[in-house]
Amino acid sequence: MTEAANLSEAVSQPAHVPDSLVYDFDMFHDPALLVDPHKRILDMIKSAPPIFWTPRNGGQWILQGHAANFDAARDTESFSSEIMPHEQVEAILAQLPPDMPHIPRAYPINLDPPLHAQYRMPLQRVFSPKTINALSGSIRTLAGELIDKVVGQGRCEFMADVAEPLPVQVFLKMLGLPLERLPEYRALVKEHLSETDPNPATSIARLQQVAAAMRDTVLERREHPRDDIISMLWQVEIDGRPTTLEDLENYGVLLFIAGLDTVMQGMGHGARHLALDPALQDELRKDPALVAQATEEMLRRYTFTVPPRRVNRDLVFQGVEMKRNERAILFLPGADLDPKEFPQPEKFDLRRDGKPHIAFNAGPHRCLGSHLARVELNIVYEEMVKRLPPFRIDPERPPKFKGGHVVGVEELHLVWEK
Amino acid sequence: MNMGSLVRATELTMKIRINKAACVGNARCWAVSEELFPLDDDGYIEVEEVDVPPGMEALARRGARACPERVIEIIEDEK
Repeated sequence: MTEAANLSEAVSQPAHVPDSLVYDFDMFHDPALLVDPHKRILDMIKSAPPIFWTPRNGGQWILQGHAANFDAARDTESFSSEIMPHEQVEAILAQLPPDMPHIPRAYPINLDPPLHAQYRMPLQRVFSPKTINALSGSIRTLAGELIDKVVGQGRCEFMADVAEPLPVQVFLKMLGLPLERLPEYRALVKEHLSETDPNPATSIARLQQVAAAMRDTVLERREHPRDDIISMLWQVEIDGRPTTLEDLENYGVLLFIAGLDTVMQGMGHGARHLALDPALQDELRKDPALVAQATEEMLRRYTFTVPPRRVNRDLVFQGVEMKRNERAILFLPGADLDPKEFPQPEKFDLRRDGKPHIAFNAGPHRCLGSHLARVELNIVYEEMVKRLPPFRIDPERPPKFKGGHVVGVEELHLVWEK
Repeated sequence: MNMGSLVRATELTMKIRINKAACVGNARCWAVSEELFPLDDDGYIEVEEVDVPPGMEALARRGARACPERVIEIIEDEK
């Protein structure tokens, strides 16, 4: 438990927070979370209230019950996605020197309605199920190539060998970015993932690098459109005005930060489950049509995204008094393991005929990339059981996990008979 | 009166009613039945009310249950 040393400092409990709602949980460094994340979350569901306040990470509300997440996610007036109010951000930016390079912003993930919808609308068609399903052939080819590359080795580090390169390649392809730049983007993703520097200047600088890495292509597509997202985004309007280079950079950054780390962690959790569950592997090998159901249950059992919100007004939410500008964390992994919603939540049940999970969140911020993520997840699991012999976790090298806004898998060593 | 119309008189008819404004585009209903739950080009539900053709009742129920936003209602009426 060396991580205990890394726990963020505890802040003092505000007067309106009753002792009964205080529970010590550092969402980045909780030692048990880093040993086995969803085991820890199942335990937390039993031992802490559905809404609790933790003194860690600057002091914040954690919404872990299903009802709390479902209602808060849909109440955008009370729970804002603008971690700093939009007007305040605009005021700060307006004071910067005019020759300062554009600071890309991940619109619309950090906007509230109605502005949210204006920026989201142009992306919806591109990420609609119909458009995404048309990409499945090329995604399958990529997945097959990555798995075939390791099959003869009898082992792989799944995250670096499959889970990370696949979505990055799909991202480049969809945006229309040159594939030669794959190493550059993989390096940026890697930096983004291993970021521990709390200084916002570091992450701003990287977002600027992400924007810079696509600028040539973005400008080129304005003159010479092709069949890709960048070209399409030049042709749409945001609230009646044509898109600008800044808009394109904002979108690029959004797709980069929201679309890569997330699905790859989903793959990591799912592949780990498969490695621990040989009977499920057998079942899916015999009947690949069951993979889609397995993907849904994996998403429920191992929900991994943890979106932050800002309490937008003083309120009493499900009996809990909260103050304006406090931080409230939508701890979705807890919501999908809530026994009130999912009986025997710890059980992976391929035929669970219950209520749908909210792994992609609820409300207007429902993950824009959910359809793409599902296709990628389905294909990876299908190709794994098709191309690999029965695989398991390398007993010599247990997996490593990470906490934070995406509860993820850092390393997953799989082995099989050559 | 023939037997067919007698039987039909006691059959239930099923309607799907959707709170379209509350759809956030999960498209899980569409994944259950593209026919009962058509989507627009943005991937959101296109219709507010659907008469369920006989034989598709189970699919309609499954599609309604699949909605994470819980905006799909099944209405059963006696004819």
